[in-house]
Amino acid sequence: MTERQDVVTLTIDGVEVSAPKGMTVLEAAKRAGVVIPHYCYHPGLPVAGVCRMCLVHVENTPKLQIACAIPVADGMVVNPYHDEAVEARRGVLEFLLINHPLDCPICDQAGECELQNYVFREGRARTRYSPTYAKRFNPVEDFGGDILYVPNRCILCTRCVQFMEHVADDPVLNVSDRGDRAFIGIHPGEQLEHAWSGNVVDLCPVGSLISKDFLHKARAWELDKAPGVCTGCSQGCNVVLETLHNTVVRLRPRTNLEVNRFFMCDHGRLDYRWLNRGDRIEAPLVRQDGDLAAVDWHHALERAADIVKGSGGPIVVLASARASNEALFLATRVAGERFVGAFRVERVDGEEPLPGVPNLALRSERAPNVRGATELGYTETFDAAVTALADAAAVIVVDEPLDTVSNAALAKVPSVIYMGTTLPEPARVAQVVLPITNVAEEDGTFVNRDGRVQRYLQAKTGPGMARPAWWVLGELLVELGRGEPLATAGEAFEMLAGAVRAFDGISYDGLGYLGAVLGTAAKAEATA
Amino acid sequence: MAITVKVMKRPEHEVSYLRATLKGLALTFSHLLRPSVTMQYPEQTATDDWTLSPRWRGTHRMLTDEQGRSKCVACGLCPQICPANCIKLVPGEDEQGNRYPLIYEIDEFRCVFCGYCQEVCPEEAIHVGVHYENAEYERGRFVYDLERLCAQTHPVSTLWDPSDPKGQ
Repeated sequence: MTERQDVVTLTIDGVEVSAPKGMTVLEAAKRAGVVIPHYCYHPGLPVAGVCRMCLVHVENTPKLQIACAIPVADGMVVNPYHDEAVEARRGVLEFLLINHPLDCPICDQAGECELQNYVFREGRARTRYSPTYAKRFNPVEDFGGDILYVPNRCILCTRCVQFMEHVADDPVLNVSDRGDRAFIGIHPGEQLEHAWSGNVVDLCPVGSLISKDFLHKARAWELDKAPGVCTGCSQGCNVVLETLHNTVVRLRPRTNLEVNRFFMCDHGRLDYRWLNRGDRIEAPLVRQDGDLAAVDWHHALERAADIVKGSGGPIVVLASARASNEALFLATRVAGERFVGAFRVERVDGEEPLPGVPNLALRSERAPNVRGATELGYTETFDAAVTALADAAAVIVVDEPLDTVSNAALAKVPSVIYMGTTLPEPARVAQVVLPITNVAEEDGTFVNRDGRVQRYLQAKTGPGMARPAWWVLGELLVELGRGEPLATAGEAFEMLAGAVRAFDGISYDGLGYLGAVLGTAAKAEATA
Repeated sequence: MAITVKVMKRPEHEVSYLRATLKGLALTFSHLLRPSVTMQYPEQTATDDWTLSPRWRGTHRMLTDEQGRSKCVACGLCPQICPANCIKLVPGEDEQGNRYPLIYEIDEFRCVFCGYCQEVCPEEAIHVGVHYENAEYERGRFVYDLERLCAQTHPVSTLWDPSDPKGQ
């Protein structure tokens, strides 16, 4: 054997697998593409071994073993679909279903419920209890925060208890009472108020812990999903945007072991309503005879190009740290030599860390692209930039609500080009208003605080004539005679990667779903 | 060249119409003596040996509980299964926290009367009806809302039972 000593080879369901020593059989099976049913096991939590759902047959052992807790060993032969194992799991499911209510039609988890899935796969089709058997009943409990507890549906896998105790380090949940009367209890006088407690809803394999916010809103199978990046803070947690009829109805964490692992905070989770705002600008507007009038894109871009060409002094770009790298970069290109850029970010005191995961917290900068804006030459001296407005020839605003800029300061500027999703009062002084899409309606990238460039994909369609900011600025460059039209966000990113030193060696396609860290190419060069 | 017409001489009994006419009249009058098979619709809607099949799938009816509320819990299975996409459902929550349909509408024009909605319903709420008289004065009236579906009183369809394929 030439293999290293810390690697063992075993057979799972007839498939030969190599796994490092210390790995559990369940994880090794996952590698081999063999799914072993499980409830209490979760890759982000310590092993509890209470659900007995992952019982497998291991040759030369007297009893069935739980795959989530036995370590792999050389020459082990594991058979998850051995008759004995299947029969045992069918028994486990039968016990779980004795008191489980038949309320799948009104349960939010239906369609993504692991109890449903496993019962369909290997459970018993009918109960052996009398039809008159009265199921155990406990009323729904409010656990505080965004969470409701439905004890009847609970299968006591204790993932929520594990999470609160070992990951959130706020052990307020417990298993109360014994035997068939057991339920998940909350310590008297306590509430699920931890900033990351919403994760117990995702962790719950059944519909026992449910989100009040999402309650009865949609069925799991109706939702369309798109990978995104949370815009709540500079941590850049990976999320899935779930939409129903072009409306974002829920955000859930997307696994990225380098950033957020399996979790996201409640602030980010519930901060999605602004994506569905109805008061959007739907057509480009230009000032005609003192009023803003709707025109087509061609006219609006022509007018914007005239402003950029006709002005002599510095061009101030006021950006939001919610704008994509592509938009921020192309705005610097439009301003060219005369670029003065500043971004604004809301800062709050203190962070809300998740103790169980290193370097994961709800950060104090409440915008996703602070690092990106900094790398692209924008400064955070927003107020200084606003005072610089006094001698600016033109101002380009990228998705910034301008609520801290005084009307008087803006009125002094000869011309204002406003790119935004909505039209706030201060922006009404603009000569040209260009409607852009929000983060759920376009493709693009953000750079999180650790320098990880991450892609987000379009989840819904934008309103009316609104276009992604990178497209608008790309067309403006064409109008100025300084570029070729951009067809995709990827092309805009390649242009950015080719021009900005910090983005060296990063390609849009190479980002994938997990992103890439800035400066890794430079580091590789240095070591080579 | 002059046209010549050839005149055929046929026997008298072959060219006479009288015989055929009498034969026809005899057949016509013989029907007067046979039993009538016409059902006098709309005065009459069923006869002794003919009635609508209990498996007939006509316009829908929503069943209600003892309090007169619809049995629907807005689970969303019928709009999901509907091949004609004719069911509109918006779920809501009532004062007791129960899930119920805020909006439940069936467009009977779009419906193909497949009966899948009845088959899939876990609450036995929505049914296709043994009913066919649906004329309206306006097209819009063919979109049945929840109130109208609950107000229907016609019998509901008995769907085909796979375990008893020949039974009614």
